[in-house]
Amino acid sequence: MHNNIKPFAAFLLGLLLVSMSFGVLAHGVDDNTRVFLEQNSGMQFIPFIYIGAKHMFTGYDHILFLVGVIFFLYRSRDVLLYVSMFTVGHSITLLWGVLGDIQVNPYLIDAIIGFSVVYKGFDNLGGFKRVFGRQPNTKLAVLIFGLFHGFGLATKLQEFELAPDGLVANMIAFNIGVELGQFMALAFIVIVINFWRKLPSFERFSTVTNTMLMSAGFMLIGLQLTGYYLY
Amino acid sequence: MTQHIVSTKTLVKSTIAATIIAAVVMVCFILPAEYNIDPTHIGHELGLTALAHLDDESIPVAKDTAITDQGQQVIEVMVPAGTGIEYKFQMNQYDKMTYEWLTDGEPLYFDLHGEPEGDTTGYFESYAIATLSEMKGSFTSPFTGSHGWYWKNTNNKPVSIQLIVSGQYTAIGLK
Repeated sequence: MHNNIKPFAAFLLGLLLVSMSFGVLAHGVDDNTRVFLEQNSGMQFIPFIYIGAKHMFTGYDHILFLVGVIFFLYRSRDVLLYVSMFTVGHSITLLWGVLGDIQVNPYLIDAIIGFSVVYKGFDNLGGFKRVFGRQPNTKLAVLIFGLFHGFGLATKLQEFELAPDGLVANMIAFNIGVELGQFMALAFIVIVINFWRKLPSFERFSTVTNTMLMSAGFMLIGLQLTGYYLY
Repeated sequence: MTQHIVSTKTLVKSTIAATIIAAVVMVCFILPAEYNIDPTHIGHELGLTALAHLDDESIPVAKDTAITDQGQQVIEVMVPAGTGIEYKFQMNQYDKMTYEWLTDGEPLYFDLHGEPEGDTTGYFESYAIATLSEMKGSFTSPFTGSHGWYWKNTNNKPVSIQLIVSGQYTAIGLK
């Protein structure tokens, strides 16, 4: 009994540390990065890869959503499929948002991203089947929420009013970085969840974990909506 | 092992618990730390509200810090990186003000000017325009209206200004 709780506690602690240490970043980009971006023009391929990777790896909203998505995916093929859907979704809107200069309020889009976390937690509890008798297509949901996550990524780049000089290359570099960061974060999550899934505590705590996921999503919504009303 | 559907009772309990936990954490920790909104004062007790002050470097701040023995008012103004701010005083015609201000070292472009009360054309009269890190002087208001400084910070870090004023005026504050 005691042994079973350990990995679960370690997992929660990990989540907590990740969200705490980066909680002070305003909309996910720190001041040094901001100064760098505003002072440099032209193509900066590797730096933009790094910024993209760092944003994804430290962006707890994207990570929480992915935890929810792969929580009940125990086959590598499914993990790959769902993560690809998410990647396709957010890449489309990241490129479209930046190139088309589509202005979306970052607080509202981040609130929707928070909602995606609530949705996935509720979905994992079987809430949709219980309330509506059927579960909405999970692949489609990941794709659609991926589109919103992409707009969120686009707003991060748009904050800097990047020069048109080298914009496309920089944006593609940022996108590549996002995928790298996502891959690294997923590697950790998949290893921990796969290990945990073998233990009886997984089933016992899956309800609690997804409840916590929903709660974290509600917090993100509250945080972003408050920001929206204040600024 | 596949996903299983929890009972309605568990689902309702989970949803309510998620909402309550989120609301408590929001009000007690997140709002104080992120936005300096602290209805419970728990954030202040834990020192979380200090985080919000650090993050607020993009928002101009002005506060009255002291009144000296000579009756001078001391005001601290923070100009965020890459922005300009105005600090104004309401004065009647022929009112006098003696002032002194200094930045924390960085020279700032400034425009000391007045705008007549009730004017809608955007007219203003400048008394001094320069780029300095400190200045002393006095002026007599040529008309009733708002008078004060525009400071522009072109640096990439915030600059704070200490403004010491005395005379006949009512502080309006940041504009």
